[in-house]
Amino acid sequence: MVKSNRKNAARRMSRRQLLGAVAGVVAAIRVAPARATPASMQEAIRNVVGEAQVTKGKVHLDVPVLVDNGNTVPLSIEVESPMTATDYVKAIHVFNELNPLPNVISVHLGPRAGRAKVSTRFRLADTQTVVAIAEMSDGTFWSASADVVVTLQACLETL
Amino acid sequence: MARTLINVPKTAKRGDVIEIKTLISHIMETGFRHDSVGKKVPRNIIAYFTCTYNGEEIFRADLFPAIAANPFITFFTVATESGTIAFEWEGDNGFHETASATITVE
Amino acid sequence: MNYQPKFDRRSFLAGSAAAFGGLSLGFHLPLGDTAAAAEMEPEVNAWVVVKPDETVVIRIARSEMGQGTLTGLAQMVAEELDCEWSKVTYEFPTPGENVARKRVWGDFFTAGSQGIRSSNELVRKGGAAARMMLVAAAAADWKVPVAECVAADGKITHTASNRTTTYGKVAGAAAKVEPPTDIKLKDPKDWKIIGKGVKRLDTPDKTQGKTVYGIDIRLPGMLYASLKACPVNGGKIKSFDAAKIADRKGVKKVVQVEDYGVAVIADTWWHAKTALDDLPIVWDEGPSAKVSSETIAAWLKEGLDSNDGLVGNKGGDVDAALAGAAKKVEAVYAYPYQHHVTMEPQNATVLYTTDKCEVWCSTQNGEAALATASEASGVPVPKCEVYKTFLGGGFGRRATSQDYVRSAVMIAKEMPGTPVKTLWTREEDMTHGWYHPVTQCKMTAGLDKDNNLVAIHYRVSGQSILAGVMPARMQDGKDPATFSGFYAGGAEAVYGYSVPNILVDHSMRNPHLHPGFWRGVNINHNAIYIECFMDELAKEVGMDPLEFRRKLMQQHPLHLASLNHVAEHGDWGKPLPAGSGRGLAQAMAFGSYVAACAEVTVTGNSVKINRIVAATNPGYGVNPAQIERQVSGSFVYGLTGLFLGGIEVKDGRVVQENFDTYDMMRIAQMPEVRTTVLPTGGFWGGVGEPTICVAAPAVLNAITAATGKRYRTFPLRNHGLTMV
Repeated sequence: MVKSNRKNAARRMSRRQLLGAVAGVVAAIRVAPARATPASMQEAIRNVVGEAQVTKGKVHLDVPVLVDNGNTVPLSIEVESPMTATDYVKAIHVFNELNPLPNVISVHLGPRAGRAKVSTRFRLADTQTVVAIAEMSDGTFWSASADVVVTLQACLETL
Repeated sequence: MARTLINVPKTAKRGDVIEIKTLISHIMETGFRHDSVGKKVPRNIIAYFTCTYNGEEIFRADLFPAIAANPFITFFTVATESGTIAFEWEGDNGFHETASATITVE
Repeated sequence: MNYQPKFDRRSFLAGSAAAFGGLSLGFHLPLGDTAAAAEMEPEVNAWVVVKPDETVVIRIARSEMGQGTLTGLAQMVAEELDCEWSKVTYEFPTPGENVARKRVWGDFFTAGSQGIRSSNELVRKGGAAARMMLVAAAAADWKVPVAECVAADGKITHTASNRTTTYGKVAGAAAKVEPPTDIKLKDPKDWKIIGKGVKRLDTPDKTQGKTVYGIDIRLPGMLYASLKACPVNGGKIKSFDAAKIADRKGVKKVVQVEDYGVAVIADTWWHAKTALDDLPIVWDEGPSAKVSSETIAAWLKEGLDSNDGLVGNKGGDVDAALAGAAKKVEAVYAYPYQHHVTMEPQNATVLYTTDKCEVWCSTQNGEAALATASEASGVPVPKCEVYKTFLGGGFGRRATSQDYVRSAVMIAKEMPGTPVKTLWTREEDMTHGWYHPVTQCKMTAGLDKDNNLVAIHYRVSGQSILAGVMPARMQDGKDPATFSGFYAGGAEAVYGYSVPNILVDHSMRNPHLHPGFWRGVNINHNAIYIECFMDELAKEVGMDPLEFRRKLMQQHPLHLASLNHVAEHGDWGKPLPAGSGRGLAQAMAFGSYVAACAEVTVTGNSVKINRIVAATNPGYGVNPAQIERQVSGSFVYGLTGLFLGGIEVKDGRVVQENFDTYDMMRIAQMPEVRTTVLPTGGFWGGVGEPTICVAAPAVLNAITAATGKRYRTFPLRNHGLTMV
């Protein structure tokens, strides 16, 4: 266990550096406002998929259709895959349009997963679209999106 | 010491796909909030979560500020052999927490 | 969605009202069998049902809380539908149906003076589409081109042959017509129903006691719950001794509510309330137990001169201009916390099972109530439902938070399969509100040697609503709502004066009470700050307050038009006996330009508000008669807040618990209010909220004109003043 941790630590360092670079790229593109935009979400997605094509399908994204205040929203993603040693889901990345940052979570799986399903809880700042992208072992990318309506509204002038 | 809650089946048949549930108490401060006088509250989140099964990594997650407080993550793995399933969380300000569970696979 | 309605329960509620028209509940019965539904209820489209007897049922998405939106929206649909107004009735689709039908009715949220404004195009198009489908059905039946047919007042005519039919006869066929995509709306000059002061659709039921409010809901086998949350907001519950009330009559269960409260569930509400009153409870009040109105005021005072101002409007160089000014005038005002005091206390009735969660409640945000019901119960949204009753007052309380839904669901979860109505006591409601935020304002003006206003600095110090309710809407730590009425431009809340050097900034200080949207929101105190200080400046230079303002408003013709109107019709400048005085105020908020001229007579400490002449320009006035009533009603609310309101804090708790310490304006004190609606067209401004803000400053300025005394802290009861 200890040896793996050191190996993992080394891997994590490089991943952290990578993430730092990615974050830097995203930050450079985003100008002042503390809000992602559909454009910055696309940029964040491109950082993950590169030039590869993303096809709609195989990914099932489960979020509530209505959410009151967006502080803790259940999120579940399942990807159709035999999850064999040669045909499995490598990673699932979740993005959103309008939170301050476009990334929500990235999970890394392997054939040992048995089932490409992950659940968590996340935050949504406002009514927006959530996108999940699955990266397969054969290098292909698949996606699904869902619209979540955040019902908490401000009794405000629309400034 | 952050509180963790782990749910791993105590026993499983070899080859079964089992569900693992994890929960850890942590504020997951986004870094975008402001305090009662309008000052920005600095980011303080768990950024990494790893799960190993007898030393072999079976699941890994990169968490961003959008993950809700008290991160709750569930995932699946194939019950291959008896042993220890270990969990590790790492985050800002040197945050580091571990937990583990044993599983008997027949 | 295959919801099978429990007709027994419904008929219990609605009496013999199997006929939709007589349904005083107002909500639509979702029918599981769509074929049967089509027979019973020929829906032309989601907005319009036309019955064989020519009754037109219009679907209304927004909440009716007395503000008249129900009628206004129906007018707009009926206008484009071109039916007879006398045949119109209404029903409220549920949020669950909206979700199931992919939000065909759009937004249910009713606040921010948005009901008419943001849905006018959607609902008018809904009515127009229905009309087009009815005409298409008639034309198809007659085998003539659609272009040769006209629809008016519920009748369709084929002009060439003079054949006619009615909407009721073709409604069934119309439902099958492909919905049109190219929909043209009527020119406002052709409006027959919009712009008329038609009678409200909800008044008859209300006067006959047929209207069902949330508090009136009764379901067979229903239990009642009384709830107490920690008296200090943010505090927690430590423990309670249920054994001490175990033998109390009718008590079924004592349950902890999340981490902050406890509820008693019993067979009657009185049994629940009295048992709860005797339940020993230990609270963990937390650090806010040390907070008082005095500590809050001291903290806010620091913010008047601090370096942490968030800027809302900036022009020129205020510091330099003030430094070089011939004369400086300064004043500090303070406006207190206010409570919504809805006549109907917070409540919700919930029937929970693991498969379904149903909520009956008065809410300004039906979809939020639905989302809250799902989150609190754990039942997915498609298996939840909210039935919106009429509201006994909203004013923003029932929009700010669905807390009353959440706690009611938590409590009902303890009794699966049994409906439970959680009703807050008046005391619980008063002390656990979402209050209009407390603020102070320091204003510094610079005048040149010719007494022109050349510089003005408004520093607002106080609580941000968004920070406490919707942090996601903050703009980089700044709360844009704080600057309502101070904006340099835009279509919503523009400052009506031209001053070459201006700075408006906000020092944010958020005490522990929950802030909330209180009818009018920030323009309530901002209008007092702006308009009372304008009078102070006029006095300083010895100028008439109207002339002083006019000089500064040449670039703001719509603000000026409303002000000029009330001055003229309020007899500004005409002599008054000693002890009487007139005061002016104008503002722009929620897209509308509002003004008031108040006339008062002050004898000792007794203030008689003789009359208020008011003007509002909301762009288009859908129902001018209703607007006039809204203005009067808003004045009741605003003047009550000015004279009698003001929530105080002691030991972290809200002091005022009931109407004995938080009084309301009475009919005898109500002044004559004469309102003119000045719709200049070309924009859609709100009515429910902006009108309130000019009453208080106009009356304050009038009191000063009458007595020479100026009041800068509120409520006025603190100065011994009373309305008579």
